[in-house]
Amino acid sequence: MKTPAALENLLHARTGPMTTELVQHPAAFDLGLGRVPARLAPVATTNTVCGFCSTGCSLRVHLDAEGQAINLSADPDYPVNLGMACPKGWEALTPLAAPDRATTPLLRPSRGTPLAPVNWPTALAVFTDRFKSIQQKHGPHSIAFLSTGQIMTEEMALLGALFKFGLGALHCDSNTRQCMATSHVAYKQSFGFDAPPFTYADFEESDALIFIGANPCIAHPIMWQRVMMNRRSPEIVVVDPRATETAQAATLHVALRPKSDLTFLYGLAHLLIARGAVKPAFIAAHTSNYEAFAAFVATFTAAHTTAETGVSVATLHRLVDIIATRERVSFWWTMGVNQSHEATRTAQAIINLALMTGNIGRPGTGANSITGQCNAMGSRLFGNATSLLGGYDTTNPAHRAHVAATLGLDVALIPDHSGYAYDQILDAIERGEIRGLWVIATNTAHSWINQNRARDLLAQLDFLVVQDMYATTETAQLADLVFPAAGWGEKEGILINSERRLALAKKVSRAPGQALSDFAIFKLVAEAWGCGDLFREWCSPETTFQILKKLSAGQPCDFTGIRDYAHIAESGGIQWPYADSPVAASATKPTLSDAQLSALTSQLPAQQRRLFADGKFFTPDARARFLFDAPRPMPEPPDGDYPFILLTGRGSSAQWHTGSRTDKSAVLRKLAPTVLTAEINPEDATRLGISPGDRVTVRSRRGTAAAIALVTPTVQPGQIFLPMHFGTVNKLTFPSFDPHSRQPSYKACAVAVARLE
Amino acid sequence: MVAPKQKQSTLALIAELLAEQSRLQTPVAHASQSFEQIKNHKSEIVNFRSLIPLTQPRPGEQYAFEVELDSCTGCKSCVSACHSLNGLDDQETWRDVGLLVGGDRAHPFSQTVTTACHHCADPACLHGCPVLAYEKDPLTGIVRHLDDQCIGCQYCVLKCPYDVPKYNERLGIIRKCDMCHSRLAEGEAPACVQACPTSAIKIVTVFTSAPQLSALNSPLTSSFLPTAPDPAYTQPTTRYVTAKKLPRNLAHADATTLRPQPAHWPLVVMLTLLPAAVGLQLAQLLSAADLQRSTFNFHWLPSAAAALGGLGLFASLFHLGQPLRAWRIFLGWRKSWLSREALVFGPWFALTATIPLLDWSLGLGHWTLPVAAAATGLLGLYCSVMIYVDTRREFWRFAQTAPRFFGTAAVVALAPLAPRAAALALLLKLAWESRPFFHGATSSRLFRGPLARAVLTRVLLALATIVLLAAAPQFVTYWVTLPLLLTGELAERYLFFRAVDSPKMPGLPAA
Repeated sequence: MKTPAALENLLHARTGPMTTELVQHPAAFDLGLGRVPARLAPVATTNTVCGFCSTGCSLRVHLDAEGQAINLSADPDYPVNLGMACPKGWEALTPLAAPDRATTPLLRPSRGTPLAPVNWPTALAVFTDRFKSIQQKHGPHSIAFLSTGQIMTEEMALLGALFKFGLGALHCDSNTRQCMATSHVAYKQSFGFDAPPFTYADFEESDALIFIGANPCIAHPIMWQRVMMNRRSPEIVVVDPRATETAQAATLHVALRPKSDLTFLYGLAHLLIARGAVKPAFIAAHTSNYEAFAAFVATFTAAHTTAETGVSVATLHRLVDIIATRERVSFWWTMGVNQSHEATRTAQAIINLALMTGNIGRPGTGANSITGQCNAMGSRLFGNATSLLGGYDTTNPAHRAHVAATLGLDVALIPDHSGYAYDQILDAIERGEIRGLWVIATNTAHSWINQNRARDLLAQLDFLVVQDMYATTETAQLADLVFPAAGWGEKEGILINSERRLALAKKVSRAPGQALSDFAIFKLVAEAWGCGDLFREWCSPETTFQILKKLSAGQPCDFTGIRDYAHIAESGGIQWPYADSPVAASATKPTLSDAQLSALTSQLPAQQRRLFADGKFFTPDARARFLFDAPRPMPEPPDGDYPFILLTGRGSSAQWHTGSRTDKSAVLRKLAPTVLTAEINPEDATRLGISPGDRVTVRSRRGTAAAIALVTPTVQPGQIFLPMHFGTVNKLTFPSFDPHSRQPSYKACAVAVARLE
Repeated sequence: MVAPKQKQSTLALIAELLAEQSRLQTPVAHASQSFEQIKNHKSEIVNFRSLIPLTQPRPGEQYAFEVELDSCTGCKSCVSACHSLNGLDDQETWRDVGLLVGGDRAHPFSQTVTTACHHCADPACLHGCPVLAYEKDPLTGIVRHLDDQCIGCQYCVLKCPYDVPKYNERLGIIRKCDMCHSRLAEGEAPACVQACPTSAIKIVTVFTSAPQLSALNSPLTSSFLPTAPDPAYTQPTTRYVTAKKLPRNLAHADATTLRPQPAHWPLVVMLTLLPAAVGLQLAQLLSAADLQRSTFNFHWLPSAAAALGGLGLFASLFHLGQPLRAWRIFLGWRKSWLSREALVFGPWFALTATIPLLDWSLGLGHWTLPVAAAATGLLGLYCSVMIYVDTRREFWRFAQTAPRFFGTAAVVALAPLAPRAAALALLLKLAWESRPFFHGATSSRLFRGPLARAVLTRVLLALATIVLLAAAPQFVTYWVTLPLLLTGELAERYLFFRAVDSPKMPGLPAA
């Protein structure tokens, strides 16, 4: 006899409210989603580009009836991520709802008192009064800003224009100085323009991928996905002192000594020349200065290179063999190269290898810098810091005139020389030359090298304004005035990814309280300052995008072929250059019928485009330059007192920079150690009596950090690895800078390690 | 500070921009959204058919996760995708990641390990559940949890050697991975499988009938993670495959991390008061053998036993996340010691509560009920002991658990009649329970580390009790010593929960 259903469910409740809560339903047919949890069933979706790293993944945001984001998944139709996302992307909405969002402007009535809420009129008045009075007393260049690679291109452009043309200031820089300045300068000098030549399809089309100072498994997991999709049985070579996740997945790991990479690359160049594995025809037709380079590297023999780098002759020859014999060789680098005391020349040594072997302009080749932040590439073109808006030269009168004319500005408003770089701004604060600082969406008090000094200098300012989503960042805690900013997801604009792809970030969530988009804040500052008239045409991000289009005309980055935001969204992002297109032309011909328009719209740009297929570079003679310098020893080598070399880098794919956003997600916090861990080789650990899990101190001449020991042979003896996401790590780092790019060398300083009793 | 005057144009712009900021869905967003929906028609549902079985399991087979370690490079998207696509609470995750480290200078090794429910062939959670809230799907082998059945006792958390069931504070129940069974039923891949950029997670069909499975989990052909808790206990079905030779010195990155376990205060109180109540009942029985007719008045013992017993059982309700569902607790009696404990202590309390009422009318000579109550109580304590023994945790083995629970009862029983013997018993108990301080691997480190103060408190309380029992007059023994004894036993039971070893899959360093 069967138990009646009601009794059965009473005894054994297979259904009920708690069960229902997790039941999944097929999403509405037209949303392009699989089954979704009933609790978070969307009524619509929209795709938006992610705002963490430079990969530029498209996220499919699930919206409720009001258009508010309630969940998201990865966009399966986007040419970048093909339906995948890293944990940061999956959790991108969570930091928006953090309880510590800044919801009103905050003012510190006097030093030593806590920040207190004020309204926008007051905040703007204080901003203009204080900065104007500093400028009156100490000159127009006594205020500076430090910005970010995390805001929209239109916002960067407005900020740069406002600050230099409106506020009459000069010195400004951004945290892209910490990640991408080297690539920018290296490309500019070698190719004539800051132009990463690759497209992500190159990951799949390469026969050999050489990663130098890059750990895409952790830093760019979705790019690593593309490597895994390569069906050409590629050699994967990782050049890195650490046996990173990527190194362990590689077919060859070259564990060279820290900061011996320049010598190593010159050694490779020499061996390739010696082997006759260079492409003389390409070199002759498309490059300059090769002979001098070949003569220079002649002394980098295998014996010399091995002695300097610790890489065996056999390994050197194996790598030379790979480069010489594989048809398509691509070189990829990230922060291991960019953050060095001789970073620019190291990046150019990589570029040289690609040029001399003809590995550029073809599928699966290239000297390819993988960018860090979601809009480092936007910052490089439109930050208006080192170069003039649109990649122009601020010292060139013709360029200034052109930009002034394009913007309808008086050319006299455009400074005729560049301002200070990040480190020079801090030095100028120390000298008392810069007295007021505006920090936008970056966290200097955590991220800058030799952090204790950076904090002292911020405290020394007459006036510090921080514009951020959170008033709780280490830097905001030091501020006199905080502007509450809307974050990614709460505003619109264009982000440009590593492969030069412009993509649209959309507004899918309401900003809390009185937080405003950075764009709106810059507009307000312009108005309050009294220079609002200069920016009348910059009325929204999209109208500003049209201005940026005009600025790009005729430049290598020309994207005048893009009609508008919708065109970008419809096309799966559009890579620059994109100069002419029927779609853009149609925008000026409103007489076209809808049918004609939609026919035009269907002619979407090719989704994977690379540069230099014709061997023509952006230098005046259209030739790529071989650039080189003699390697220099690392500035603070280990010694008896500080016997270890400290390596820093990304700790996990779940952490982003200083953690101001990723630490807000409970899920992301579970995916990485919550306390600082120091990776140490078992030999060193045994010698120092350190067991796994012991508390240790890592000490440099500048500071001390407490950590938990992770004993692992993935770091070599004599080296310590610390993930950069923890606040104490940059108390240790040694302030040295690449002379060309002014990028800090985060990845090598001398430290001592001891067990904490 | 006085708010300085702003121009009218600035104030207007502030108002305009604040209004604009609060507006969702600009016209552009609308346009692109409608376009995307047309485009999405084509892609529809992402298809991952190559990563899930094409056919349903046959008899003797079930679905299982297969993790290709060589493809997993540590992006951890599986955890967050599971969280988002299953609509879990903010801090709730059903998948975990950990790290294995090992190798040597020539072959350094580290490996991220992703882990969720292993959908064991012989699931310990299911066997332990007192309300049958776990079911093993007969067709797919997926171990499913019935959320509306769960009483939130969290015994499955103790039973699972892989730390899979997760307690949800908001709901007061356990929730866990169900292999996205409803997605699989529609030919759609589970969230983690969909989200893995390198296709490292698959659903496969594995044999579950005994010979094949034991071959699967034998040390020679093990496809389970070599460093994980012994698969022989629950027969986990997840397969971790690698073409690499794993180094011999492989260790969990969190192997040395000390994780004091939850105290479970309601259980600490219950498991102190119930043995005490049974002890008082035993004391009453012993009084019959009190040939010297000591002057001590035993009349209050039945009432005290009833009071402590009632308090202990009442306290246990606070342990449950869903106490109103607790009436179902008998359902699991065939396998669950927790059901059995409830089935025994229920009637025991009925007896225990009756005795004081009957005592006055029937007189002390009537021993049937007190004997029955004490015997039932001892049986109940045996069930309590077995609840913990059945978790197969080193620290909770029978030789450690039984002397603790029965020891408390024994000392309480002896104290009124033979305080010196009680002192000796407590001394022996203290000595015995101190053994893990010197020998237990995890528990020893917990005792010496984060629990050192609690250990000291426990030892001092026990020693003070012993001194009083041995030296003080009898009335002190009862009115001062018993509360002191019980406080010491509370501390001991607190340590019993806090210091237990908690097996799990590899975790992250310092996590």
